[in-house]
Parts: sequence; structure tokens; C-alpha cells
Amino acid sequence: MLLLKKEQLLAWLNKLTQAYQVFAPVNEEGCVSFKQIEAGDQCTLDYTNSKVPPKEVLFPRSEYLFCYRCEKEHVELKEQIDEHKKVIFGLRPCDARSFLLLDNVFRNERFQDPYYLTRRKNTVLVGLGCNQPPATCFCTSLGSGPFATEGLDLLLVDIGDRYVLEVLTERGQELLSGMELPAADQEAREAAQKVKEGAAVSSRVTLEGLKSKLDVSFDHPLWDLIHEKCLGCAACTYTCPTCHCFDIVDEAQGNEGCRVRSWDACMFPLFTLHGSGHNPRPTNKERFRQRVMHKFKYFVDNFNATACVGCGRCILNCPVNLDIREVIAEIQGTEVRSNKQ
Amino acid sequence: MLIKMQDITKAMQEKARELLQNKEVELVIGFSKGSLPLRYTPCFIRQPEEAEKLAWGYGCENNLAVYLRKRPEKMAVIAKGCDSRSIVELIKENQVKRENLVIIGVPCRGMIDRQKLSRLLAGKELREAEIKDGLVAVQGKDISASFPLDQLLYDSCLTCQHPNPVLYDYLLGEQVPARGSDTFADVAGFESRPPAERRSYLMKELSRCIRCYACRQACPMCFCEECFADCSMPQWVSKSSLDVQANLFFQAVRVLHLAGRCVDCGACDRACPMGIDLRTLTRKMVRDIQELFGYTAGISLDEKPPLAAPIKTAAGHV
Amino acid sequence: MKNPYLPLPMRLVKHFVETEDNLIHTFTLEFLKEEDEKSFRYLPGQFAEVCVFGVGEAPFGIASSPTEPGHLKFSVARVGVVTTALHQLPEGTILGVRGPLGNSYPIEEFKGKNVVIIGGGFAFTTLRSLVTYILHPQNRGDFGKVTVIYGARNPGLLLYKEELAAWEKRTDIELVTTIDRPVEGWSGRVGFVPAVTKEVAPSAENAYAVVCGPPIMIKFTLPVLEELGFPPERIIMSLENRMKCGIGMCGRCNVGNKYVCKDGPVFTRAQLNQLPNEY
Repeated sequence: MLLLKKEQLLAWLNKLTQAYQVFAPVNEEGCVSFKQIEAGDQCTLDYTNSKVPPKEVLFPRSEYLFCYRCEKEHVELKEQIDEHKKVIFGLRPCDARSFLLLDNVFRNERFQDPYYLTRRKNTVLVGLGCNQPPATCFCTSLGSGPFATEGLDLLLVDIGDRYVLEVLTERGQELLSGMELPAADQEAREAAQKVKEGAAVSSRVTLEGLKSKLDVSFDHPLWDLIHEKCLGCAACTYTCPTCHCFDIVDEAQGNEGCRVRSWDACMFPLFTLHGSGHNPRPTNKERFRQRVMHKFKYFVDNFNATACVGCGRCILNCPVNLDIREVIAEIQGTEVRSNKQ
Repeated sequence: MLIKMQDITKAMQEKARELLQNKEVELVIGFSKGSLPLRYTPCFIRQPEEAEKLAWGYGCENNLAVYLRKRPEKMAVIAKGCDSRSIVELIKENQVKRENLVIIGVPCRGMIDRQKLSRLLAGKELREAEIKDGLVAVQGKDISASFPLDQLLYDSCLTCQHPNPVLYDYLLGEQVPARGSDTFADVAGFESRPPAERRSYLMKELSRCIRCYACRQACPMCFCEECFADCSMPQWVSKSSLDVQANLFFQAVRVLHLAGRCVDCGACDRACPMGIDLRTLTRKMVRDIQELFGYTAGISLDEKPPLAAPIKTAAGHV
Repeated sequence: MKNPYLPLPMRLVKHFVETEDNLIHTFTLEFLKEEDEKSFRYLPGQFAEVCVFGVGEAPFGIASSPTEPGHLKFSVARVGVVTTALHQLPEGTILGVRGPLGNSYPIEEFKGKNVVIIGGGFAFTTLRSLVTYILHPQNRGDFGKVTVIYGARNPGLLLYKEELAAWEKRTDIELVTTIDRPVEGWSGRVGFVPAVTKEVAPSAENAYAVVCGPPIMIKFTLPVLEELGFPPERIIMSLENRMKCGIGMCGRCNVGNKYVCKDGPVFTRAQLNQLPNEY
């Protein structure tokens, strides 16, 4: 554990921007998001959490997969793989954990997504512990916590005028080269410990037994009503650090164009609409069930992990206050009925 | 305040219970207490004994008219002034059957804008709030403050000319006086800026757009079977949210499509998770429709929508 | 890292109007690069994403068989943006193809068994691949009796008419074609596929059934197969959920925890019985 004075932070960030693309929380009109900064003073570490999770650094809202030019006899393809070295600075432990979950998605037994994985490989994660987790956070229920280090390379613990810096990986260590920071003394360690103890995550969901309930409740009548107030927008999925659905379209003019991938959402009817007009998930009921099932059952089936980190963004951003904690509680409270035979 | 929110809540619960018990309706759509401070959430009540879930307060910010289309059953809905105006337009567009709908009107004193509050709290988290005598007392970690209610209301509530439902079967509580007339000074102010400045303002706002379509989904009047933004043949607008021009194009067309239909309830603006200023566009449209057609949406069931009415020209009707 | 999003360039060498209603066209594509042809190793039942540059890409079952080297064949109904564009392309156009994607029919399991192949309408594409594969002289000996039941609304809507005629003449395949309503000059059967399947009554003994067709046909054919004694493990189906990436990442084609593009499109009925009915 090392010690970093707050006044050293700017210089460190400035130095990092020389060698890396540094993405850090930036406050624009009250909306905090992870943006690439040119200098340390553009970033704010006085924030609860970003509106859009830092997943957008590795999996942008929209990105070019490749561009092309068609000639009569051949076609020229130009891959658009981003190989810049990056640092995501000041992300919350829950969001760091989301990358561990997303890793499962973008690499399967047969295919690897080079866009995400290349960025992932080249990105160092510097976490910032949560001294005051908001009331909408329930990360501890998902096996994480306000100072969890899983997935991080460095963790900053704010102890007032200084940060206690936990070096977690060699990559993290590299970011500190030339810094010559002192080891955290007893007093700083104790202060960090105290901060951690004081950071209570008050909100909880019960995951125990949830999966086994969902295993047998696809046809349960609870789905008829639980989605009713949902408007079918993508505020929850687009601000979710683990949601990863995307669309691929061509944008072209004349004989030149690009293939673009953009975020997409299971809450949209067109997401699953067949060319024939048939839709396997025709109403909001099926789409809402898919979202819940995907996070709390299918993902568990496939990767033995829940696709939720408890960041609470979906709760804060839902335009009708449809609260996932209540949805989980309602599922937990329903009587298990056997599935269709 | 003459009428307490609790009294309205109680009257609401009683009316809902009665309508369900007498089988006048199968469903009551209203609000219940939400999971966040100052937040209420839409709720759907089908059993008389569930009516006690209904609640009324300064966080009933959603326009419940969005839930009324394509429902076969007889239902009742809690309607503020703006909700009732959307209902009027929906009835005129044959989206809602008046005879299937019992409107429980509630005069509205305005709803609290949690984003405004959040800005006043400089990002500090609100944990608890209490409203008393026109003051909102807020508590959080390291904060304790009190603000006049008016300072926290949505802008759309501060210019609202129709706080009382325009169409209802029952009215709970006393009518509230409308605020001073809406001069659209904000629209005029925006229009007075040079075009480049207006454009750069809108582009800056729309650069935050993530295309979650919460604005569209929250709007009672945005109900096209296939939104032009989703259409792929032809693809009218780029699907990429990094294309800020496309984001602006989407929003501009959406607003044009609401000409003479938008009641300026602010639902789109409230729904936006990115806090994008959408009302600058919707208000401009509302003002233009008033100026050009003398039409205010959602006021009367009989008045023809401006784009459906014959256009008066110098030569007579066309 | 191999980039699974990059298409291989191919040339459209034949654009053929397959059905009389002009709704299905068959496209024959040749690889521009020899190394691509070598690396594109597929089996019947797999699909590929075909892209029209400037328009987009869409998944189609591969209608050709690996026993027909040098080209790929796709039969495409005009339903959306990409397919409409495809239908307008002149021969010689350069296209892109990503694949092969998805799993295949369980050919290894079919070996030594009788195979009953049931198709309806334009869903005969990968079935053509399968039949062609089995009938290839090098493979034919590996399989038992082959029965093909194929129906369409009328004769003009059957795919691959020349090949059907050729199969008709062979003795190592029983081909039963059927149309919905009688038409002058039609010598095959008349009736819906499920009813004809019942009449033909292929034996379930030592046999697999493969069924592809419109949902309504599948719905009524499955009980017939069940009656004939085909266990769910030996009824093979191919799903057609909407797809984009084709590699199990974009999230739209899932049925339960399975992705049609990666874990399918071929499933046994037994597998589908374990999954929600979202297809």
C-alpha cells in the first residue's frame, strides 16, 4: 500500500495522459461520464457514479467495425481496431467487476471479439473506493463491495487529504513508475480501514434461491403484471454496466461505407422481429422477462455469475421508477409453480 | 395549503375502491409511493383492497395517459391537468375510447424536479425529504437544507396554464389557480440567438443522447407502430448515437410529429436519463402552433386538430 | 486474433429466380481468394452472413453442400433491406460472406441410420445441402434409407426443381413432393406436409427425422412424427431467430440460455423441449 497526496494527483494524471488515453469521470452540466481527458484538471473524483458506465470506453455506444471501398473486381476492407493504451481512472469497484462479466460475453468457445478484447487487453483500471455509497447501491449483495478490488489494477482509497493506493497488479505498478510514492504508514492504513468500515451499503437484494425460482417460472403469471409500468425504453439497459446487446448496420455512400455497431436493447420490439413479421418476444411482457431472465438466470446458466453488479443505475435512471430490487423481491416472494411440461 | 396531499390520497383510494367494488372499472391506473425520496411511481390496481397503495404527492411526475392505449378493459385513470390534455388528444385520435375510461381528475400544484434539487445539492445524495408549508426540507449525508417548493418545481409546471384537469368524471380536491400567463419568453429568448449559437446549443445537448428512446416511450402521443427512427427501409436516420446530427434530426422530427398534439407536459424531458433539454424544442413547436393555428392541444374534444382542420387562405377554405 | 466480423469477398456468379412468384432467388457465389475457399469448411445445416456492401448483412442457411466445392449457394426470400438489395444485384457483383456459422445437422449421428427429411416452402435450403451431401457417391454408403417429403403451395413455389426431378429418377432416395391444392399436370401428391407425412408413414426404426418449414407446418408435423414413433432426441429442427452478429454476442437470438446463432440453429426436439418457446 502506497500513499498519494491529493496535490500529487494532477501531476500523476497529466503524466499518464502522455503515455495513455486516460478516461476519467468528467462533469458536464451535472452529467458525469467517462471521457478522455487531455489534462488532469478536466476530471472530477468528487462524484457518486457516472450516468453511463465506463463500459462505453471498451464497448462504445457506436463504433466502426471496418470500412470498405468496393471496386468492380475487389473490395478493400479496413479493420478499425483500437489499439491505444488506455487507463480508466477513478472508476467504481462495481464497474470494474462488470468488465469481468463482459469478458465472458466477448469471448466464447468459438469466437473472440477483437474490438472489445483488444481494448480490454490494453486498458489499465484504476479504481476509486466508495466512501459514501448511495442508497441505491446494492453491490454487496452481488459479492462485490465499495472497496472491492476484483478486476482492478490499482485502488484509491480517499482518506481526506491523501489517497491510500493499493497496488493490485503489475500493470497497476507500471502506472506508478517514476512516482516514488512512500509506503502508507500505520496512521494512513488505519484511516483507510476506518473509511472502509464507515462505507455502509444499506440496500440489499436476496439472490439466494432466485435462480432456482427463475428456473421454473418462465410461464409464471407474475410476468403478466410485473412489467406493466415499464415504458419499453432502454434507459436501464444503456446505463447498465453489464448489458451488452448490440446492432450492426452499414452506413455507406456510393461505393464506400462502414459497418457500424451500436448499442441495442432487448426492450425494443424490433430487436427480435423476424423478417417474416413473426416476433418471438412480441410484447413488453416477454421483453421485460427476457431482461430479468438474462441477468439472473441465463447468464448464471452460462457463466455461473449474475449479470448485475448492484450499481443502482437502472433504479436511478428509470423514467417510471421501476426498481429492480422490488422486481427481485417480488419474484422471491412468489410461490414457485412448476414450469410448463 | 388548503387541501393536503394526504386528503387527496385518501379520497383517491376511496374513489378507486368504490369504482372497483361496483365493477364500474376493472383497473385503476394511478401512482403509489416510489422507491426513491420524493418519487412516486405508476401503479396498476385491480382489486378494491389494493386501492390503499394509491398515493398522491409532488413526485407524481409521469403522464399516465401513456398507459391508456389499446387496453380492452374499462379503466379509471388519475389525471393531472397535463395528463387530461393528453387524454383529450388521444380520444380525438381514436386511440382511447372515452366510454371505456373513467377520469379521476386531480388539480395539480406542480411536481418536483429532482434534477433541480440535485443541482442545488451539488450532487450530494438526497436521502429523505419532507414537504411542509410550501417548503421542502431535505436530508442527506452531510446535508440538511430547506428550499421553497416553487424553486424545485419542473419548468413545465412553472409555466403550466392548465393545472386543473380539462376533462374528468370526478375531481379530487379544489381547483388550483393557474400561474400567470405563459409568454413563451424562453422560446423568444432562444429564437433571438443567432442560428449558429442555437445550433451549437442543441448539438451540445444532443451530444449526450444515447438513443435509449425514453423520451419517445414516455410520451403519450408517440405511439407510431413503427417509429421513423426504427425504420430500416428506408433508413431515415442513422442508428449511431455518436452521430450528433442524427440525434438532433431524430428529436427534431419527433417534435415536428407532435405538432398540435404535444401538451407540453414535459414527460419526454423528465424521462431523459441524460438530462438533455428537450423542452426548448417542444416549447417552440407548441408556441408556433398557437401562433400559426390559434390551437392549444388537449383543451377541447370538439376542436379539430390543426393539421386536420381546413386551412384558411385568402381565397377561402382549401 | 481472428476477426469474426470481417467478411470474405465473393463474387455473385449466378443469380437465378427460383420460384414463380419471384420471391425466392438463388445466388451462387465464388470465393475471390483461394485461401478463403480452403478455410471455409462447412457442413449441411450451417449458415453464413451474406453482406451487400453499402446495405448490410443478413444470415442465410447454406444451400450448397460441401461436396460441391468452389462455390456457395443461398436461396433468399425477399423480406427486408438486405434481401431486397440482393434480389436486385447483377451477376458479377462482389459480396461479402462471414462464416460458416452455427452448428450443423448431426451428420455423424445419422451415419448408419435411415434419414427422413421433411421440408416445406422455402425452408428447404439447408435440407438441399443435406440431401446433396448424403447422395454424394463418397457419402451415400454411410447412410441408410433416405426419404424426402417436400411440400409447397403449388409446383411453381418448389425450390430446386431440376434437382428434384433428378432425385425422382434415383433409386437410392425416396422423394415425395406435394402441393396444397390440385393443379393440372401435377403428378405428385396433393395435401399438406403433415398429412402426407402421415400417409407416407416413414418408419421410425433406426431413423432420424429432420424438419424445416414454416411454423404452422412444424406444429402439425411434430405430432405425426411422434405418432410414427420418432423420439424427441431423433427429431432435428432448425431455428430461424433474428440474428445480427452470428457469433453469440449481440444478444438477440437467444432462446433461454442458448443462442440460436452459436448453439444452434440445429436443435433436437428434446433440446427445444427444455427451452422456453421463444422462437
